[in-house]
Amino acid sequence: MEVQSTTGSRVRRRAETKLCLSRRQSLVRGILGRLGHGLLFVMASSSLLAVLFIFAFIIRDAVPFFRLRGFSEFFTSPHWHPASADSPEFGALAILFDHALVTLCAAMFTVPLGIVAAVCLSDVLPFAIRQIVKPIIEILAAIPSVAFGFFALVILTPLFQNHGGNVLAGALWAVGIPVMLIVTWVLSDILSSKFKVGARKAARWTVAAVLAGIQVALLVYLGGKLSSLVIVSGTNALNVSLVLGIMALPTVVSVSEDALTAVGRELREGSYALGATRAETLVKVVMPAAGSGLFAAAILGIMRAFGETMVVWMAAGNSARIPSPWYNILQPVRTLTATIAGEMGETDQTYGAAHYHSLFAMALCLLIVSFLCNFAAEWFVRRTHKRMGKLAK
Amino acid sequence: MDMSSRKILDRGFTSLGIFSVVLMAVTLAVLLTPIIIRGAGAFVFRETVENRRFTFDVFGRGDEAALEVEVADAAKARKPVYDMVAEFRAEVGQMSGRRKRDMQGQLRTVENLLRELLGPFPGEPRPVMPRSRYGKPRWDRAEVALGRLLTVEDYDYSDPTQLGKKVLTPRVEKFRGTKLEELFDYLPAHAEAMLRPEWTLNWRFLTDEPVDANIFGGIWPALLGTIYLTVGAMLFAVPMGVVTAIYLVEYAGSSRIVSLLRTFVSTLAGVPSIVFGLFGLAFFLNTLFDLHLFNQVLGISRSKTVLAGSLTLALLVLPTIIRAAEEAIRAVPHSYKEAALSLGATRWRTVVTVILPASLPGILTGIIISMGRAAGETAPIIFTAAVALGKVPSLTELHQQPTPALPWNIYNLCSENQAIEEIRHVQYGMVLVLVGLVLLLNVAAILLRARISRKLRG
Amino acid sequence: MDAFTLQRPMGSTRQDGPGRRDAPRAADAAIPGQGASAAHVTAEEFSIYYGQNQAVKNVCIAIPTGQVTAIIGPSGCGKSTFLRAINRMNDLIPGCRAEGLLTLDGQDVYAPRLDVVALRTRVGMVFQRPNPFPKSIFDNVAYGPRLQGIRDRARLQGIVEHSLTAAALWDEVKDRLGDNAVGLSGGQQQRLCLARALAVEPEVILMDEPCSALDPRSTARIEDLIEELRGDYTIVIVTHNMQQAARVSDMTAFFYEGALIEFGSTRDVFTNPSEKRTEDYITGRFG
Ligand SMILES: Nc1ncnc2c1ncn2[C@@H]1O[C@H](COP(=O)(O)OP(=O)(O)O)[C@@H](O)[C@H]1O
Ligand SMILES: [Mg+2]
Repeated sequence: MEVQSTTGSRVRRRAETKLCLSRRQSLVRGILGRLGHGLLFVMASSSLLAVLFIFAFIIRDAVPFFRLRGFSEFFTSPHWHPASADSPEFGALAILFDHALVTLCAAMFTVPLGIVAAVCLSDVLPFAIRQIVKPIIEILAAIPSVAFGFFALVILTPLFQNHGGNVLAGALWAVGIPVMLIVTWVLSDILSSKFKVGARKAARWTVAAVLAGIQVALLVYLGGKLSSLVIVSGTNALNVSLVLGIMALPTVVSVSEDALTAVGRELREGSYALGATRAETLVKVVMPAAGSGLFAAAILGIMRAFGETMVVWMAAGNSARIPSPWYNILQPVRTLTATIAGEMGETDQTYGAAHYHSLFAMALCLLIVSFLCNFAAEWFVRRTHKRMGKLAK
Repeated sequence: MDMSSRKILDRGFTSLGIFSVVLMAVTLAVLLTPIIIRGAGAFVFRETVENRRFTFDVFGRGDEAALEVEVADAAKARKPVYDMVAEFRAEVGQMSGRRKRDMQGQLRTVENLLRELLGPFPGEPRPVMPRSRYGKPRWDRAEVALGRLLTVEDYDYSDPTQLGKKVLTPRVEKFRGTKLEELFDYLPAHAEAMLRPEWTLNWRFLTDEPVDANIFGGIWPALLGTIYLTVGAMLFAVPMGVVTAIYLVEYAGSSRIVSLLRTFVSTLAGVPSIVFGLFGLAFFLNTLFDLHLFNQVLGISRSKTVLAGSLTLALLVLPTIIRAAEEAIRAVPHSYKEAALSLGATRWRTVVTVILPASLPGILTGIIISMGRAAGETAPIIFTAAVALGKVPSLTELHQQPTPALPWNIYNLCSENQAIEEIRHVQYGMVLVLVGLVLLLNVAAILLRARISRKLRG
Repeated sequence: MDAFTLQRPMGSTRQDGPGRRDAPRAADAAIPGQGASAAHVTAEEFSIYYGQNQAVKNVCIAIPTGQVTAIIGPSGCGKSTFLRAINRMNDLIPGCRAEGLLTLDGQDVYAPRLDVVALRTRVGMVFQRPNPFPKSIFDNVAYGPRLQGIRDRARLQGIVEHSLTAAALWDEVKDRLGDNAVGLSGGQQQRLCLARALAVEPEVILMDEPCSALDPRSTARIEDLIEELRGDYTIVIVTHNMQQAARVSDMTAFFYEGALIEFGSTRDVFTNPSEKRTEDYITGRFG
């Protein structure tokens, strides 16, 4: 007892120092704390403010255009002659159409490829290869758009202009032959399954031969057509769509891969356990489960192509016409972004000039579309997370 | 369907996936290979004596004595050319009528082509433009010029339904039987003696000023301008982004504020880059810097400036930095924070002394990646900062002067320059430098990230 | 003399059931006649809630000065929660709130105008898993003093040496104070964390299962350390390990489902528990 008592007194108690602050100190600290917190909040709202300001200022400078020229001409007339001295025309329909055309073409090729590549990365390729592919995707995403534009203008354009038909025909054959082999195999199997067992083999071979014949004929016919095609302008919608598609690929791949890995192992194993092949598992089970995430990936990828300026400015040909026929992607086109980039320097940047404001009207279109797309993508991503959360529980 | 079909479909699916993965790799290779190979041509090439003369005259670099000897040797090799031309001129003087006019025209063409190749004739007044004052600075361009001297390129439009057909004929045909005929044998045989090409490694491409539409010199202003813009953007974006991330992770009490702010961050990330450019123009230049305070008191210019470009780029990369920083800060083990707080640190001290240092590598990764992004973006700086020609402003006038920048100059040189073909190597060189810069930054980020994950694993 | 340290049962829990009736007065027996100065940390009807869930229920306890108090009980019974209330580490957890009175030296720890920083410099803590900062050994130990504004290198060096010596780590690391602390072994890291806490010169040291992540040898060293620190600090240690509680502590508190069931001298609690549940737990019938 004695020992404990003395040891007890060895503790350096600071009972005299007050733990509580005086009313004044506490007030000061409270105010300082609030101020600091407020300051942090203001700085943290920088992105919020930036978005609001962007909207505010683009709208501010776009509104005078619609005041001056009304809505209908901009959205319904394809005649864009803003610099004409006596009777300027501000019909952006052709430009809007071209923008949509280029974006959709890029999407048509980047979305399927990107999603399949993501499936491949998350489920098919061995880990070691994945470790190599990931940096490649990252680097592809990092290359500046002006470098892609340079590539499209200096390398792809002469290629299209000088050997366009042959390039297209070569691409057709390269894609067509594997597709043909698979189609032949599978269709012949399905069609011949009606026959009796004994005759089945022979039937299958005949069906296969007929199918292959038809397809080869088709390929030869199309290939011939393509290779005799002369592409007048190497700077055209196809050229930029290809490049935009490639630029958007990394976005599609990485977002869809996230969605696919979020699906989790149990679902996959369940499907394999039922005897499904890998493709069946992926197509029928994994991809539907990751559906929202894949949608988000597609949207984000399309947005990347949609918002791109330099590539289209440099390599799309800058001709504000609707191609004729409208689906002819071998003709030069011009997008909203390229119009803004190209013409802002030429207008007198004065408040009240219709041309100046018309470019802001275009920017407003871009802004609204990308805002809506972004919202949709967010919504899809959230939905995936929620679903996955439920599944996990 | 039987098993084999299902298997084939399976394989088909798999190979489609592998195809697209391979496509990305191949695309990268197809993209990078010409850029690297031809871009290297801006640094490593066969330099003619003309370029050495130029370098000595304009930049004051080179060995004067050796150069004099070399120029004298070259002049010796060129003398017969000029003699032949002079003789032919005299010969033409004695011709008459249509033939005389025709030959005079032909002679003028040859003389001009010779000037392009070798520079002005001896005794002629020195032209003002460097490209006329000197011959071809690079052997590859000299070979092209020589080719044009030796062969005439014509288009045959005889078939109106077809595009014109290119027809090549040796130029010597036009001078058969004249005193100039010999020239076309002499030129190819003595071209090297006249221009004395030598392999050189010209790293000065990075640090020289461009002269005469980039035909001579390097890309220093564009490179430095890009560095200014990028660093400037980081000066604004990094504090904003990191503070936002700190707020999101450590301070924002309710999750509703967090998700609201996050929505705005991703909205900002989705804004097309050209819209940033317009916004920079409408807000920074036409509104903010138009205010008395900024314009008169602080002396900020109302037209394109490095400052405006940096601010615009900062907004563009802000989301990237916020996301990276947020992720990095979230990854800091909770136990660090507990330890600091239990030792009597306030929340802010904890952030500054423990959380930021621990998340620094992750934040740095984000910063490096967004530096690459800022360096490569063109659209936001078109209306706010970039000019094709001109000097880089000094550090004290960044708020008053525009600047050249790599991405903008690449666009300009390959689509609006007068001598697009002549300076292909400069274009490729610029693209190589820009892509190299961006890739270097990204590789650094990838390595840094690998290091972090290795550390986290153990 | 503080009012609430008068003739209150030193360990009890306001709860229906037998615990309430025979409110154990073991603490008084263990340190008779020490009165107010004996209790360093006291709790009165103290409860903690995580949202709706009450994790600590109406605890009354008086933790004596300069002694080692062990808190035992099955996992999830609120030991950590109670321990972390003493230096208000629970503030970090959203939705966590406290009711009742908890005092340090007679001052209400949950007073509205309390200076949490001052409290935490007086109440140090060592966590379950060693959590040194990813900084040098020196910087780890000097972290607290630096927070208090000590910049003088010589003085910092003195503090670091003193703290590391007190944590029995000085001889092992004195030649590599600049090395990253993450490179130390688990046991060394935990002693470093202790040194780091000591460098702030606290009065009370809270330890939340400090040995559960360590091997037996490191555990033994920590226990030796606690032995050495006894008397100089008031130590509260949460442990899962009954032998450890018996070896190192003077007093033992047994928590069960958030309530303090029994509190008394370790000898009494382990040899002659007054509660059936305590006995069951100690003899390993549950937990
Ligand atoms: N962060 C928290 N949020 C909500 N409930 C918690 C949290 N931490 C602990 N609890 C709950 O409080 C109770 C006591 O936990 P704890 O004090 O950690 O127990 P012990 O340390 O004795 O194992 C448990 O029922 C646990 O579920
Ligand atoms: Mg615990």
